[in-house]
Amino acid sequence: MKVDNIKEFIESGILELYVMGDLSPDESQEVELMAEKHPAIKQELLEIETAMEVYANATAVAPKDSLRDKIINSVNAVETSHVAPETKVVSLRRESNNGFYKIAFAASVAILLISWAALFLVYNKLQNSQEQIASLQGSNRQFANRVNYFNKQLESSKTEISVLRSPDFKFVKLQGTKNAPDASILVAFNPKQKEVMLDLASVKMPENDKQHQYQLWALVDGKPVDLGVFDASADTTGMIRMKELSNAQAFAVTLEPRGGSANPTMEQMMVMGAISI
Amino acid sequence: MANRKIKLSEEELIRALRAREKIAIEALYDMYSSSLNGIIFRIVQHEEIAEDLLQETFVKIWNSFPSFDSEKGRLFTWMSNIARNLSIDKVRSKDFRNNSKNQDIDNTVNFVDEQRNTSLNPDTMGVKELISKLKPEQKTLLDLVYFKGYTHVEAAEELGLPLGTVKTRLRMSIIMLRKYFN
Repeated sequence: MKVDNIKEFIESGILELYVMGDLSPDESQEVELMAEKHPAIKQELLEIETAMEVYANATAVAPKDSLRDKIINSVNAVETSHVAPETKVVSLRRESNNGFYKIAFAASVAILLISWAALFLVYNKLQNSQEQIASLQGSNRQFANRVNYFNKQLESSKTEISVLRSPDFKFVKLQGTKNAPDASILVAFNPKQKEVMLDLASVKMPENDKQHQYQLWALVDGKPVDLGVFDASADTTGMIRMKELSNAQAFAVTLEPRGGSANPTMEQMMVMGAISI
Repeated sequence: MANRKIKLSEEELIRALRAREKIAIEALYDMYSSSLNGIIFRIVQHEEIAEDLLQETFVKIWNSFPSFDSEKGRLFTWMSNIARNLSIDKVRSKDFRNNSKNQDIDNTVNFVDEQRNTSLNPDTMGVKELISKLKPEQKTLLDLVYFKGYTHVEAAEELGLPLGTVKTRLRMSIIMLRKYFN
């Protein structure tokens, strides 16, 4: 702080009010801090205090002489009672106060710890429950999938059985050509119902790539009729329904660009078989 | 029985009070009872009440002496504030207001001086003279704040003066006192 500010502080009259106990605790503390830091302020305070003491002295009013013994005795009485039993009372009180706060504090800490422990347990249980729910949901989904799968399997098995049972179906085994000597495939044909079923389980053909698909053809009076496309892979099973057809002399499968062609690519004929009557 | 007045230096007195020696309270009384009584009496203006308050003041000084910090100020300043605060609390208490006639504040100091013979310490005879030389408005304010226990805010209201003026006037009157001592 600059000298000017110290001077201003002194001249504000705050030190006089401090000496007369006429400041708020905050203001008093400020004065005490300033006095600690600045000897000039401390000196000023001392001078004010001395002046006020002399002023009080000059305007003193002597108490009655009889008061001296009374007051000194009363202070001594207070002191004696302080030393002997009252000290104990005070200290007991303090102890009981302290004891209360100690117990209250210990209880608070204990409750806090118990709460933490309980919270931790509940949290763990919650975590476990959530994990269980997740795994249950997972297995639930698996079961649903399996049920769906089995339903499909059941459906296709039913179809197969109905096809195999029906006396109207003719089974044509298509044999491999020179392109694929080991290939074979089974086609079920029902002229009455115009149904053509391809038994994928019986397909023994090289797997087609992504750009190509097998296409089933029927030879009707010497002309090829498109019956649809299919893929051959090791894990395909069941029967698939192909396009409707009422009359044919033979079936053949060619390898065509994916999606099929309007006319069969004869060089890519994989299997063929005539319908025996 | 003639009272042999005990006098100690402020340092000795503080040491004895800290050690809680019995002689300390006697010295304290002999050295300061008149000054403190003056402060109390001017505020309460009632002899019996002032006696009780003087006793209360000494008991309180003795009991709370451990909280006195000589770094923060002089012993007398601390004691006079105890006396003043106890007196102001008394004056503002309900039973006091019910029992005493309201004195006109302006007459307070005169009242005290007229009613009682203040003990004139030969060392401070000149001070007495000086005080009479204070400007009336300085004296009124000084007595209002120092002896009547008014806060400077209350004094400003009472005298119809701005706070700043009250503070400066108070400072100027104390400077007058200081000039004499230093």
